[in-house]
Amino acid sequence: MTIAMTGQISLEQAKSVVEFLESGQQAAADAIIAEIQNPINSELFAEIGKLTRQLHDSLTNFQLDSRLSDLATADIPDAKERLNYVITMTEDAANKTMDAVEAIFPVVDTLAEQVAAVNPSWTKLMNNDLDLKEFKSLCLDIDTLLKNTGKETQHIHSLMTDVLMAQDFQDLTGQVIRKVIELVREVEESLINMLTAFGISAEKVQGKTTPKVGENLVEGPIVNTENRDDVVEDQDDVDDLLSSLGF
Amino acid sequence: MKVLVVDDFSTMRRIVKNLLRDLGFTNIQEADDGSTALPMLQGGDFDFVVTDWNMPGMQGIDLLKAIRADASLSHIPVLLITAEAKKEQIVMAAQAGVNGYIVKPFTAATLKTKLDKIFARLA
Repeated sequence: MTIAMTGQISLEQAKSVVEFLESGQQAAADAIIAEIQNPINSELFAEIGKLTRQLHDSLTNFQLDSRLSDLATADIPDAKERLNYVITMTEDAANKTMDAVEAIFPVVDTLAEQVAAVNPSWTKLMNNDLDLKEFKSLCLDIDTLLKNTGKETQHIHSLMTDVLMAQDFQDLTGQVIRKVIELVREVEESLINMLTAFGISAEKVQGKTTPKVGENLVEGPIVNTENRDDVVEDQDDVDDLLSSLGF
Repeated sequence: MKVLVVDDFSTMRRIVKNLLRDLGFTNIQEADDGSTALPMLQGGDFDFVVTDWNMPGMQGIDLLKAIRADASLSHIPVLLITAEAKKEQIVMAAQAGVNGYIVKPFTAATLKTKLDKIFARLA
């Protein structure tokens, strides 16, 4: 390439083209034109090449976030199952505990009744006020009470062991929930990366927004009452609010 | 006294039933949301309703409004036991004519206090 690169065509080249055309040498004139275009084309090609590479890199990087599709198709359905497992486990535990407690109530009530039944005679005995016939009857009642108490306390003990064992869900559900928290963290990161790839700054998006609420403002348990001023913290707050309304 | 306990979680219904039984209420029936509860109320002579707020189907607040809007039911006292804790919601419940509002988690003592208050007021 012999042209002076101040412009895209030199005076010399232009003159040659005119000469070739005047002398009817079309092919030679075309050859010069092609030679002139060549550097323009190569710059264009270089630019297109650069853009193509950038596009390719962007796409490849974006595919790095194919993790996102794994998350959506595998991890999140798995997490749903895990959370359902937590519901089942906690429900089972609550029911097992209540089974035991509901079984203990009548046992304790019966013992209390039997104690209450011997109490008047016992008080009379302590006051030296009991005749022999009553004393014999009291002895029989106390005998029954002692036997029953011995038997029933064993029963209560085993039911209380059931209550104790029903708490084993805490360890298992704790592990499951910790795993789901990790997944939520990962999804959050992937989504922020995606926003960044689309040129949306995460900071701009991270405005202080309140969680989505359902019909009638339904939101469920509030876990961060101390950071919010639109919720009550406890029953006292509810009572204060209601009494301020004239309740 | 016939009581209807409305909650979508059977465990919570069971807890409330046990507490109510301890307080001397023995005639207790259950429903798992407002749309199940309302026909039961219309069909039976209930004296008292304890309901959760957030339930699939008909919510507790809507059940309360339906009870107040029905001339044959409007006299029945309604106690909300709910995790819903927004001030706006408590105001909403008060305006809808709730007789008591307990936030979860709650204690047996709180339930007793609120019941005493509700029935003292009605007496």
